[in-house]
Amino acid sequence: MTATAEAPSKAGEVPSFDVTLRIQRMDPDGTPDHPAGEEYWEEFTLTMHGTDRVLDALHKIKWDVDGSLAFRRSCAHGVCGSDAMRINAKNRLACKTLLKDLNPKRPITIEPIKGLPVEKDLIVDMEPFFASYREIMPFLMTSGPTPERERLQSPEERARFDDTTKCIMCAACTTSCPVFWTDGQYFGPQAIVGAHRFIFDSRDEGEWDRLEILNDKAGVWKCRTAFNCTEACPRGIEVTKAISEVKKALNTGVV
Amino acid sequence: MTTAESKAPEVEPLRPIRSGRSRNHAEQWSWLFMRGSGVLLLVLIFTHLFINLFSGDGVNQIDFAFVAGKWASPLWQIWDFVMLVLAMIHGGNGMRLLINDYARRTWMRKTLKTLLAVCVTTIVVLGSLVIFTFDPCPLDASGDLLPGVPTFCEDVR
Amino acid sequence: MTEHEYDVVIVGAGGAGMRAALESSQRAKTAVLTKLYPTRSHTGAAQGGMAAALANVEEDNVEWHVFDTIKGGDYLVDQDAAQILCEEAVQAVLDLEKMGLPFNRTTAGKIDQRRFGGHTRDHGKSAVRRACYAADRTGHMILQTLYQQCIKQDVEFFNEFYVLDLILNDDPQAAEGKDVAVAGVVAYELSTGQIHTFRAKSVIFATGGAGKVFKTTSNAHTLTGDGMALALRRGIPLEDMEFFQFHPTGLAGLGILLSEAARGEGGILRNSEGERFMERYAPTIKDLAPRDVVARAMANEVREGRGCGPNKDYVLLDLTHLEPAHIDEKLPDITEFARTYLGVEPYTEPVPVFPTAHYAMGGVPTTNNAEVLRNNHDTIKGLYAAGEVACVSVHGSNRLGTNSLLDINVFGRRAGIAAAEYALTTEGHDLPADASSLVTDQVEKLRATVGGDGTERVADIRRELQASMDRNVQVFRTSESLAEAHKLVGELQERFKNVAIHDRGARFNTDLLEAVELGFLLDLAEVVILGAEHRKESRGGHYREDFPTRDDENFMKHTMAYKTKDGIRLDTKPVVVTKYQPMERKY
Repeated sequence: MTATAEAPSKAGEVPSFDVTLRIQRMDPDGTPDHPAGEEYWEEFTLTMHGTDRVLDALHKIKWDVDGSLAFRRSCAHGVCGSDAMRINAKNRLACKTLLKDLNPKRPITIEPIKGLPVEKDLIVDMEPFFASYREIMPFLMTSGPTPERERLQSPEERARFDDTTKCIMCAACTTSCPVFWTDGQYFGPQAIVGAHRFIFDSRDEGEWDRLEILNDKAGVWKCRTAFNCTEACPRGIEVTKAISEVKKALNTGVV
Repeated sequence: MTTAESKAPEVEPLRPIRSGRSRNHAEQWSWLFMRGSGVLLLVLIFTHLFINLFSGDGVNQIDFAFVAGKWASPLWQIWDFVMLVLAMIHGGNGMRLLINDYARRTWMRKTLKTLLAVCVTTIVVLGSLVIFTFDPCPLDASGDLLPGVPTFCEDVR
Repeated sequence: MTEHEYDVVIVGAGGAGMRAALESSQRAKTAVLTKLYPTRSHTGAAQGGMAAALANVEEDNVEWHVFDTIKGGDYLVDQDAAQILCEEAVQAVLDLEKMGLPFNRTTAGKIDQRRFGGHTRDHGKSAVRRACYAADRTGHMILQTLYQQCIKQDVEFFNEFYVLDLILNDDPQAAEGKDVAVAGVVAYELSTGQIHTFRAKSVIFATGGAGKVFKTTSNAHTLTGDGMALALRRGIPLEDMEFFQFHPTGLAGLGILLSEAARGEGGILRNSEGERFMERYAPTIKDLAPRDVVARAMANEVREGRGCGPNKDYVLLDLTHLEPAHIDEKLPDITEFARTYLGVEPYTEPVPVFPTAHYAMGGVPTTNNAEVLRNNHDTIKGLYAAGEVACVSVHGSNRLGTNSLLDINVFGRRAGIAAAEYALTTEGHDLPADASSLVTDQVEKLRATVGGDGTERVADIRRELQASMDRNVQVFRTSESLAEAHKLVGELQERFKNVAIHDRGARFNTDLLEAVELGFLLDLAEVVILGAEHRKESRGGHYREDFPTRDDENFMKHTMAYKTKDGIRLDTKPVVVTKYQPMERKY
C-alpha cells in the first residue's frame, strides 16, 4: 500500500541514464586540497532517472557521495524560492529543472547565482537582495480610517497587479541582470517587481512614495531591457514588462 | 482570560525612507532624453545621409563647394548644429552610464567622467564654431578669392 | 558563544510565527528565529484557501463552520477551541485583507469564496463556498503579506538560526501545580556554526510540521518536526501524534500537492474504469468529502485493482471537462506542476494522483490561548505554541482543508498577544551557566565523526525510516504493520547513535544539521507509531484495518505521549465537548 516504489517514478519503468554534474565549489573553511575561499570545479557522475530534477541529483551527491556539498533547498517544488542557481549558464530553480531537459549527454554546469557574495559552494549571501526589497516599502499603505469590512476591489483592478504577486523572491531575476552584476547598488528586477505589486494595487496610496524611490539613480532607469530577468523568472512573471510599466508611470504621472 | 480581545496598538508610522541614496529626477530626465534624442537623431542623421549621399549626384558631389553651399543656408547650419549637440550629449551620456556600470573605483569613475566631459565640451564648442563662423568665400592676404572656392563667390563679389 | 536577551522569542517564521510576531513586536521586544529565510517557510506552499464564514457569495454562518470542523475531525476536536477558531475566522480574513493580501474578488469587489472538502451548509446538506482564496497560491500570499507587514513593523529576524534546545527552569513532568516556566532557547547559527543562547521571558514555538517522517509527502525537506521533538525531549508531552493527514491529491510518485481546490472548482477523481468512484463512498458531497475519506477511498480503489497506470498504483484527477480559461484563472500553479513534473497537460489529460503525507493534526498540546500544557491541567509559564507544531486541538483526528491557514492566523495571533502580555508581567528566568552544553556536545560529537569510526550514513537511515513509514503507517494501518514499523524505528534509533557525517566545517554545515534533523524525525516517528498502536479504533486520519470502526467508549480522548527515561509513556486527555455529541460520520 505504498505510494511509491523506491524510484521516484510516475509509473513502471522510468529510463535511467548517466549524467555528469560540474559544480563550482568553494569552502570558506578550506579542504585538504583547496585553501579556504578558493573557487574550483568538481565533477560528479551519477545514474539518474527520467523524472529526476537537478535538485535530486544534488541530493544524491550530498547524501551518497559528498555530504559537504552545500546548497539551500526547502519545498522542492518551486514555491519557496530557496534553490535558485546558475544551471548551464542560466538562472533556474534546481527543483523545477528536469535533468532530461538539459541534454544529459553533456556535463551540466552548476554555479551559485551571480552578483551576490558566495558563502559556500552554491550558497550566497542573500542579505543585499532582501535589503533592496525592504527599501521599496513593500507593504500596503493607506490613509483614513480602517474600514470595518474588506476594502473593495474589482476583479479587473485585482488583475492589474496579479502577475507581480507571484514573486517568490528566489533572486533568479536580479542575479541574471547584467546591470546588477556590474553595479550592486541597483535595486534589481525583484525589488521593482515587489514595488510594482503595490504601485498598481488600487487599494494602495503609497504609490508615489515608491515611485520616488525607484526614480533614483539606482532605480528603474538603470534597466537596459536586456530581458534576462523575464527569461530567468521561474514563476513566469513578465519582469521587464513590469519594469516598463513603472517607467511609464513615472514618465506620464499616471498609475 | 481576555487575551484575544486585547487590542494591538495601531502601527502608525510609515518609516521614513532609510536609504542614503540621492533622490532627484536627473536619471529620469537622462532616460527620457536618450529616448527623445535617439528618435530625433534617427531623423536628422538619415536625412543628412540621404541629402549628402543619394540626392543629386550622390557621393561624387561632396567637395568644399558642396559643404559651403549647404552652410550658406541657415536651415542646414541649425540642422547640423542640432545634430552635433544631440549626438555628442547622447553619446556622452551613454558613455557616462557605461562608466557608472563598469568603473568600480570612485577616483577612476571621477577621472573618466571628467575626461568625457572635457571631450564632449571641446567637440561641441569646436564644431559649433566651425558651423557658425564658416566663411564660404575666404580671401587670401591680397584680398582675392582663394582657389577652389565655390563659383557663386564670384557673383557675390 | 553569543548571548541575547529578549522579552519574546519566536521560533519559526511561517504563517503562525510571523502572525505572532506582528502582535508581540508591538508590545514587547521580540526576536524571530528561523532556520530558513521567512519567505521560504512552507506556509507558502499552501494553495487552496482560508475558511471563514464571510457569506460573501452565499448563505453561511459560523455555527455551520464549527459543526463542519468538529465533524470533519471525527469528534476528537475540542469544541470550545473550534468555536474560537471559526468565530475569529472572519476577523482573521479581514485583517489579512487590510494588511494588503490580494484575495480573488467577486464582481461586487468583495473577497471571493469557493467550495472545499468537508465545508457544508446547514450541517452537511450540501457543499458551501467558504474558502477565501487567491488563485491557488493563498498560502504564498499569506506568507508574503505577513512578511511585508513584518518589514513595515521592523520585526527583528535571525535568519538561518536553528533552535536546537529549549531551556526550562524545571522538569515539566514535575508534580501538578508546581510552577514550571521557560527560560530561553539555544540556537545554532548556520552561517558561522556558532552557538547562541537567547534568554526570553516568553517563547513561542511555531516550527511547523513533521511530514518528512514519511517518504511520500507534500512537505518541504525542512519540515522535520524540530519544535515537537525539542519539546518531547525536554519532557513536554505530544498530543494525538498518531493522526496524520494524507492529502488525497499528491502528484503520483512525487507527493507534490495538488490543491483540493481542483475538486472545489469541479475536478473529479476517477479509477481505471473511468468511474467517479467517490459517488460510492460519499454520496452527498462526493469528491468534496473530507481528506481522510477521499484518501482512504483512493487507496482502496488501488488496493482492489482499479488503479491506473502500468503498476495500477494511482488514480486520476480529471479536469478535462473544465474550461482552460477557468483552470488558468483559478488553478494556474497546480496545473503547471502537472506539466513540469509529470509532463501531463491537465487541459486534455487527467492527472495521476495518490495520497501524500500532508499535515500533523497532533503536536504540542496548548490551551486556547496557545499556552503549552505540560500535563492535562498545568501550563508552562511563558511557553506558547501555534500552527502545525501545536495541537489545540481544533483539527481533532482530521483537519478540514483551509482550516490550517485559519489556524495559523487565529492562534498565531493569540500566541503573540499572550506571549507579549505575559512577558510584560514577569522578570523571566536566568539561563543556567551550562545552558548551551547539550547543543554544544551534540554538535561537537557529530563533527568528531568526520573521518572517525561512525559507520552509518544519515541518508540511509532516513530512507529506511521514510520507506517504512510509507509502507506501514500510511492510510491503512494494522497491528502487524505498526509492529514492524515499531521494531524498525527502534533499530534505526540504535544505528543513529553510530552515525557519521562528511562535513567538518563550521560554516554552512548543512550536513551536520541533516543529522540533527534525522534525530528529530526518529523520535517523532516512534511517537506516531506508538500512538497508532495504542489507538485500537479507526477515526479520522487514523485507520486501523483490524479495528475499522470508531470506538467512542474507549477512545473518545486525546493521546498524550510523554518521553521518560524508560521510554515513551502514553496517557490520555479528555475531549472538550460543548454542544455536538458524537454522531456517525457520513457525507
